[in-house]
Amino acid sequence: MADYNGPQLIVGAMRQAGINFVCSLADANLAKLLAAVDAESEFTHVTLCREEEGIGICTGAYVGGRAPAVIMQNGGFLNSCNALTTTALNFNIPILLLIYYAGDLGDEGFATLGSVTEPVLRGLNIRYYVLRKDEDIHATIKGAATLAVDSRKPVAVLLTKDVLGMRR
Amino acid sequence: MRRYDCLKIVDEEIGDALVITTVGGAAAEWNSIRPGDGSLRCRTLGLVSSIAMGLALALPNRRVVGFDGDGALLMNACGLPTLAWQSPPNLTLLVFDNGIYEASGLRRTATSAGTDLMAMARGAGVKNAAWAAGLDEFRSLLRDGLGKQSLSMIGIKTEAGVDYFKTWQQLPAFEYSEIENLYRFMRHVEKLEGRRIVPLPGPKH
Repeated sequence: MADYNGPQLIVGAMRQAGINFVCSLADANLAKLLAAVDAESEFTHVTLCREEEGIGICTGAYVGGRAPAVIMQNGGFLNSCNALTTTALNFNIPILLLIYYAGDLGDEGFATLGSVTEPVLRGLNIRYYVLRKDEDIHATIKGAATLAVDSRKPVAVLLTKDVLGMRR
Repeated sequence: MRRYDCLKIVDEEIGDALVITTVGGAAAEWNSIRPGDGSLRCRTLGLVSSIAMGLALALPNRRVVGFDGDGALLMNACGLPTLAWQSPPNLTLLVFDNGIYEASGLRRTATSAGTDLMAMARGAGVKNAAWAAGLDEFRSLLRDGLGKQSLSMIGIKTEAGVDYFKTWQQLPAFEYSEIENLYRFMRHVEKLEGRRIVPLPGPKH
């Protein structure tokens, strides 16, 4: 669907929520979203080599007055668990975690990753919301960003292929 | 070289730069030299370079200095290309390389077997990454790094071992918890910047 605008809706909701600093690592299913982030001139966009460093970079940005988000695949979320625990949760750092949900319903090839993603989020006591419908994008992204700041914690939104414009 | 002597030079040279300290002895030593709210103690091994970079990007008009160690930098080695890519010109990263996991049982790190952290940094694309051969050269490299508008990294080979470990183990304890350290640091940034940094609590009424 060439006119699919899920990624634009996500970026628009991020901007309205005040997000202005984004760290990301590529995933094929995040390509449209990352291109939309690149096109948003109000965002500082840092490309990562490994997701855990993004938690540190976002922490530094927050301490310097920015409102940060990390965009990554759920494998990258697993890479980030120590920094999320001993920096973000330990120091009350609000970070919006936008996580592509590989191994989700109907996916092929990432079933193990998909099966541990929500249990690990629950284990870390990170609140999360699964985003499946366009009409929920705005309220969920904006609500998660508000909750992150209000709770002074990272809050995750699991992005499915449906809202990333990647459902075949 | 003793790390403590390097940190005394840092105190003399960096003015009101914001400092992020790595896990281990450097934080305790720095706290004894310059206690106060201008330093943030990182608690994740390896994350100093990343936190300092995020802070430097957020506050481009303010000087940021990070204290890293060999074990820490090795753990977050993939942060080096990211650092080089962004190259915040207001960031100076000091790497105290003693060849051991000093605070974690004194076992050897890979640098004791020949890994060259400044060569790794240069290979990752950090143009100004150099070893300081002695305290005078360290001061000179530090001044140079603070003065120029480009990212710099300075490596310092420092004394290690159980005797040195015992010296900083006897330093005063930190006065503030981690959370209090963070908020005092953020309030300090607010004063320097003259604007609100800590998000306002909600709801408004």
